[in-house]
Amino acid sequence: MTRSQYVRANYQVNATPQFHVLSEHQCEDIYYGALEALERTGAEVHSQTALRIFREGGCRVDGNRVRFPARLVERAVRSTPSRVVISDREGHRSMFLEGNNVYYGPGPTNTYTLDPFTGERRRPKKSDTVRAGIVCDALPNIAYAMDNGTPMDVTPTLADVHAFQALVENTVKPIIHWGFGIEQYQDIVDMAAAVTGSLEELQRNPFIILYSESSPPLRHSEEAIDKAIFAAKTDIPVIYTPCTFSGGVAPATMAGSLVISVADFLVGLVAGQLVREGASFIMGGLISTMDMSSSILSYGATELSLLSAGLTDVARYMKIPMFSTGGCTDSKVIDVQMGIEAAFSILIAGLSGANVVHDCNYMEYGATGSLELMVMDDEIIGMVKKILKGIEVDDEHLAVDVIDAVGPGGHFLGEMHTMAHFRDFWAPTLINRLRYDGWKAEGSKTMGQRVREKTQNIINTHEPERLPKDVLHRIQEVVDRAEAREAAKKISK
Amino acid sequence: MSNYFGDLAQSVIAGRQEQVKELTRQALDAGTGPVEIINQGLIAGMNVVGARFKVGQMFVPEVLMSARAMNGGMELVKPLLVGQELPSAGKVVLGTVKGDLHDIGKNLVGMMLESAGFTVVNLGVDAGPEKFLQAIKEHKPGVIGMSALLTTTMLSMKDTIEVLKEEGLRNKVKVIVGGAPISQDFAEEIGADGFAPDAASATDLCKKLLA
Repeated sequence: MTRSQYVRANYQVNATPQFHVLSEHQCEDIYYGALEALERTGAEVHSQTALRIFREGGCRVDGNRVRFPARLVERAVRSTPSRVVISDREGHRSMFLEGNNVYYGPGPTNTYTLDPFTGERRRPKKSDTVRAGIVCDALPNIAYAMDNGTPMDVTPTLADVHAFQALVENTVKPIIHWGFGIEQYQDIVDMAAAVTGSLEELQRNPFIILYSESSPPLRHSEEAIDKAIFAAKTDIPVIYTPCTFSGGVAPATMAGSLVISVADFLVGLVAGQLVREGASFIMGGLISTMDMSSSILSYGATELSLLSAGLTDVARYMKIPMFSTGGCTDSKVIDVQMGIEAAFSILIAGLSGANVVHDCNYMEYGATGSLELMVMDDEIIGMVKKILKGIEVDDEHLAVDVIDAVGPGGHFLGEMHTMAHFRDFWAPTLINRLRYDGWKAEGSKTMGQRVREKTQNIINTHEPERLPKDVLHRIQEVVDRAEAREAAKKISK
Repeated sequence: MSNYFGDLAQSVIAGRQEQVKELTRQALDAGTGPVEIINQGLIAGMNVVGARFKVGQMFVPEVLMSARAMNGGMELVKPLLVGQELPSAGKVVLGTVKGDLHDIGKNLVGMMLESAGFTVVNLGVDAGPEKFLQAIKEHKPGVIGMSALLTTTMLSMKDTIEVLKEEGLRNKVKVIVGGAPISQDFAEEIGADGFAPDAASATDLCKKLLA
């Protein structure tokens, strides 16, 4: 290098692109808005367990209505760890939910699935959850698994338990999983503990995150809040995610929707922190607009991205890991709309620095799960990861010496510098950049056809690491126990 | 006189409740019959709202405001209907099923039905078979509508239908179902009379079932 010796002052580096929707002061306003709503309006809580915890913890409880003194909420926020580390099934610490680390993956509980072989939109089966596990396991940019649809060919009240079995047996990746209630949560934790060897090992190195959704505005069902309490008691990380849609269950303004979303998360958080100070909570999450013609909660709305990025800013302000949304669409089929909406939301979620971005499989406003969409999203995530890496600027990358060596009118193809760096370019696996004749020779396939072929190929050929026989046996025992319990309930009815 | 009707309808369309009440009072003071006010003013306005909503020229919050405005007028006119037949398109009992607290979609259906001239009895949330049964006995509706958001709670729809059969009431009332996880197939499977994917088509479905 030919630079003279120097030291530099006040030099700043953008190691990544910079993107913020809200300033620190705006985040503060949203947070204080939520504290005010909780103190003044409070929340309706439908769980006796939670009401008792809130009363004993110092909240003002009047029937089902709970009002939260700001000091209690602030103490809960302060006692929540700012980082959660999730391992894979083998115990390797693999997801560091801290700072602006971003991990992408699918979402749960769709009531339909888009069959990647027949193209049919139909009710999901347990074999579809097996496929979801396999596809999550295979895709390099999908960091964790979720179920891609509620299996409906099993005991209905154990769809969650069966879905977890299907996932844990078919992927080594971390699993984020829901449950109908705390009995099923216990089943899921027991299956996970069968994998790690003990509950203590699972707590020390969790490879699962539990997931609970509340129903804004300021209303928490028994199941939703009891699950948050269960997770805190059991010392397993939990995502508490209000499902907020602007204009429907929240004000039609975006700031007002953020206030509702933060406030409703905080209700679950306070319950959890009162049960176990320092319990791992991740702030959800799903926030978008209600379409005022069709009344759907839109998964393709640009406001989903904007609101989610804003909420991520608030989560960072509160120093709590964030569960966000992207890679989803309102489209019903594999088409251009799907591509536009998925790409937009993956990019914005990535730029926002949300720690977990879910729903990279959600079609038809969340009603349908699609493995093809997840496969396409895997490609988009690859592109976005490249953007997030930004541009490196130093002597090696400025390459002034190479420019001088090549000189005017030359080319860089034969340079060692090129050899050393050209592989930094993002290389497509599904996006087609062939010249026309090459594309034609390969069958003139559209993106949709290539996505479908890749999805089918993964399902047909990918072999996930298998669990040992004795672990499989113990998992099956938990499922059998759950089945016996539900059967007994049915009889006693 | 015809001006009252035009202005009333316009006020309903614009969702101006106070204006609707004022015009209704004026029409009544001028001796206009309550049934005419309802049919040619209030319902006429809502019919326009319904049509505009269908083609995407009006949106859900506007329909809600119009429905509220219309109800403001209805409240003034209803007490005067003594002895005359209330022009109701039919009576519908609605409820979110047992174990489920999600009621926004169901309330939207109620609003759309009311604005189309139906009388709606809203049972709220967490409504089990007994609650529907009691409401049927008490209100004698033409239709009951059950709503669910969860795949577990939607199963309780079938329980309600079974209870209606046991009580010998199944043939006396039409049963419709809706909610995010519900489909036409599911409706048929549990023996419901109909399914509607959204609030606007729920109204059409009720009209069809009661025709």
